[in-house]
Amino acid sequence: MGRYIIRRFLQAIPLLLLISIAMFLLLHALPGGPEAVLFNPHLSAAGRAALRARFGLDDSVPIQYIKWLGRSLTGDFGFSFATNEPVMTVIGRRFPATLELFSVALVVALVLAIVIGVVSALRQSSATDYVLMTLSYFGISMPIFLFGLFAQDIFGVQLHWLPVSGTQTLGYQLAPIDAFVDHLEHLIMPMSVLAISYIAGWSRYMRSSMIEVVHQDYMRTARAKGVSSTSLIFRHALRNAVIPLITVVAIDFGAVAGGAAITEGVFAWPGMGSLFIDELTRRDYPVLLGMLIISAVFVIFFNLLADILYAVMDPRIRYS
Amino acid sequence: MDISEDINARQVTPNEEIEPFLELTPELAQKRRSQTRIIFDRFVRNKAAIVGAIGLIFLFTMCFLGPTLTGHNDPNQQNVSSVSATLASASWQHPFGTDNVGRDVLARVMAGGQVSLLVGLTSMLMAIILGVGIGAFAGYYGGIIDNVLMRFTDIILSVPIYLLLFVLSASFTDGTPKSIIILIAVFGWTYAARLVRSEFLTLKEREFVLAARTIGVKNFRMMFRHILPNALGPIIVNATLLVSNNIILESVLSYFGFGIKPPDSSWGNLVYDGQGLFDVDPKLVFIPGLMIFFTVLCLNLVGDGLRDALDPYMTER
Amino acid sequence: MGENLLEVQDLKTYFKTKSGYVRAVDGVNFSIKPGEKVAIVGESGCGKSVTSLSIMRLVAQPPGEYAGGSILFDEQDLLTVPESTMRSIRGAQIGMIFQDPMTCLNPTMSVGKQISEGLRIHLKLSEPEARRRAISLLEQVGIPAAGERVDAYPHQFSGGMRQRVMIAMALACNPKLLIADEPTTALDVTVQAQIIELIGAVCSEFGTALILITHDLGVVAGVADRVIVMYAGKVIEEASTEELFANPRHPYTIGLLASVPRLDESRQGELKTIEGAPPDLLKPPTGCPFMPRCYFARSICRTMPPLDPYAGDMSHRKACWVDVSDPKEQAYAERRRQERVAAQKAAIEAASVAAGTGSESVTTA
Repeated sequence: MGRYIIRRFLQAIPLLLLISIAMFLLLHALPGGPEAVLFNPHLSAAGRAALRARFGLDDSVPIQYIKWLGRSLTGDFGFSFATNEPVMTVIGRRFPATLELFSVALVVALVLAIVIGVVSALRQSSATDYVLMTLSYFGISMPIFLFGLFAQDIFGVQLHWLPVSGTQTLGYQLAPIDAFVDHLEHLIMPMSVLAISYIAGWSRYMRSSMIEVVHQDYMRTARAKGVSSTSLIFRHALRNAVIPLITVVAIDFGAVAGGAAITEGVFAWPGMGSLFIDELTRRDYPVLLGMLIISAVFVIFFNLLADILYAVMDPRIRYS
Repeated sequence: MDISEDINARQVTPNEEIEPFLELTPELAQKRRSQTRIIFDRFVRNKAAIVGAIGLIFLFTMCFLGPTLTGHNDPNQQNVSSVSATLASASWQHPFGTDNVGRDVLARVMAGGQVSLLVGLTSMLMAIILGVGIGAFAGYYGGIIDNVLMRFTDIILSVPIYLLLFVLSASFTDGTPKSIIILIAVFGWTYAARLVRSEFLTLKEREFVLAARTIGVKNFRMMFRHILPNALGPIIVNATLLVSNNIILESVLSYFGFGIKPPDSSWGNLVYDGQGLFDVDPKLVFIPGLMIFFTVLCLNLVGDGLRDALDPYMTER
Repeated sequence: MGENLLEVQDLKTYFKTKSGYVRAVDGVNFSIKPGEKVAIVGESGCGKSVTSLSIMRLVAQPPGEYAGGSILFDEQDLLTVPESTMRSIRGAQIGMIFQDPMTCLNPTMSVGKQISEGLRIHLKLSEPEARRRAISLLEQVGIPAAGERVDAYPHQFSGGMRQRVMIAMALACNPKLLIADEPTTALDVTVQAQIIELIGAVCSEFGTALILITHDLGVVAGVADRVIVMYAGKVIEEASTEELFANPRHPYTIGLLASVPRLDESRQGELKTIEGAPPDLLKPPTGCPFMPRCYFARSICRTMPPLDPYAGDMSHRKACWVDVSDPKEQAYAERRRQERVAAQKAAIEAASVAAGTGSESVTTA
């Protein structure tokens, strides 16, 4: 199994290299060329010359790439146009908010998706099944930004139950407990919207996987041994049915960057996604490119993780 | 056969009847239907798919024929003559009301619909052509070509599509539908390519390919006249879902201000426009938003219906 | 109840479909003594598998229904006991092995765990005890290096080995009855003999009664004491193995045995078949189901014959109005057979005349 992991890991490296080349080319393809992308528009001529030397823009393209690659590997993506801070600092500052939003949403979504999927599968063709599957169908048909807007209108504007944006109510100095509760209130809506959009797809997947497993011959063998229904569902069926779902979850989570941009944009949640949107309007290319690379690495990493998880969970892959 | 000649017959009692044989004849085979007919019948039996199809027909009719039929054909005609003319609620004259400068919302929705639907469809067609072509070459030839093409596909798939599209639309597009269509198509072919490639990989080992080769069919013709028709099923399903995917993509881009820009309108940028007035008049956001939702829902229903109708192993569920 | 371990009385298992009820098992009667090895034979679709699943009450309730009869096991009617009782019987009192070992084992659980599961549920063994017993069971069914293989996964075994694992699993708790539903059909011919021998040997050793379901008469001859022949959901003959093979008394059994190719037959001769097809179980005929294909049939066959002893011999019963050993009946059957052959020839001639090829091309039989 260790060999399998190493093998997959090694397969990912050429892909990462290729992505870096693609990003590098993108750098040069954007209007204005690398200077527009890397140099702060407010630089003086002397500053420009210094930066030209630093980035090696007078060197040949392959040399530029090597230097650029070296810088990227050390995390040096340049400096933000807007704040002149190192890109990594700017991004890093926003990271915790995104992590919080997405990890909570992921856990909630995973648990609920499994529950809903299993319940629907066990009560196939019943009223419960139809209701749940219809709701999830609506869920996958609704673009997430719309869903967010609807939620904001109903729960925020009309009912005044929850705040519609940000991580806390500004302008008040609250006691720690109250601040925490206030923060939670702000977290609920974006987290729920995100979770529900994941649940919609995952629960359908779980349901079909569960239905397929329940009809397998080995379930009948287990029943013939006198295994109880609870044990049948949890020890036998679920164990097999959840495997494909976990890989889908891992891959979906890898694509977090895209989803983050949209959700955080709608709810003004101060994470990496909304940073991306803000910097986009400001054409702050160093930050944008840095984020593109980081998110690509993220995607590849989680795809790799999905494969590894699959091998861990399915002995047929592990020992073949 | 004379009974009197049969020795054993003398031992049979005279009034013994001989039981006639009860032939069990198999039921007559069903009248043969063509493959297209079979698929069509299965699709039609699926009520959800039919609802989706009717919904789509209604949407297309409404957006493309609506302006001429209903007379709401000027989305840009402003009317700031009086306070009540702006942000009006639904009335006979303006079934969807008016926006903050008195423009008829219904007209804007229909005009926006034309763009959104067109963008979705056209970008799908371009993406499918690209994807099928790339996938066919990769799957048919295999080897180096396959490797290179698939690495290329992997690169595009690894960067989150929204981030990429955001950056590229901000830098390269000018807000016209044409540029958005091209942008979405250029990055939307990857799933179709993967799909077609795997179909080709399995199909090219089949015997009908070998048979065609022995009569001298050359590669290009083999790919597109022989193998491709057999892979059409999943391609059609993917195409339908791609339209809904692209409509969502365009609407997200426009919602953040990077996609279709005025004077062109799409449902996405109608939402963008309406966002500023969200507190005052949420319907400016909801009406185009619900149109998007409804379109995507119908497309998904039709796509799933097609998938079920084309699936040869579909069992009763 | 007496000395019988299992008594199936007038069992009816139907399946509800859109077009009506399929009568898969339609009034089946038989009994099994402790330690006895009984084979149930019949063609595909005759109801033998459904009978065995009914004994274990494993038939999926919709669309299946237990429409009548009783299954008496150990003083209890298995069709009416609560599910919790049934669960304690499955695996512990009655074990079952299925046809396809490839798909019948859980791919994500080790073989040892799957065997131990029954031991821990029914015998309440602790995990290390169960594991030890699982290893010894694997040895008994002939799996080499059982101590290491116990942690292996099903996909790491060959088909024959997997079936041995299934046998170990089914016999783990020493049940009184083992039901083997076509255990060798999915295996290579060379492995089939080994598995059948193994099943016979372990059943003899532990005194387990055996119901062996198969359509392969060769398998029957190797291991069964008694044979039950089923057709269209009903039992139509039952006898000890030697008696059935030597003196079949039901026209279907006769046809069945005649269709087995023999080494002493001429190699150029045609294989014998039973013409026709089994009846549609949605609308089964009211009388004997074999009637349309039977040369011995008479008008009385429109009523289903009871399963009665032949010539007073309680151990050999048949469900047939006709005494097939009677020369008069045999003559009658022969006449009908010749009529049919003649009718077929005439039909072929008529068809070829209609096709314009003329009567010269009609080949002689």
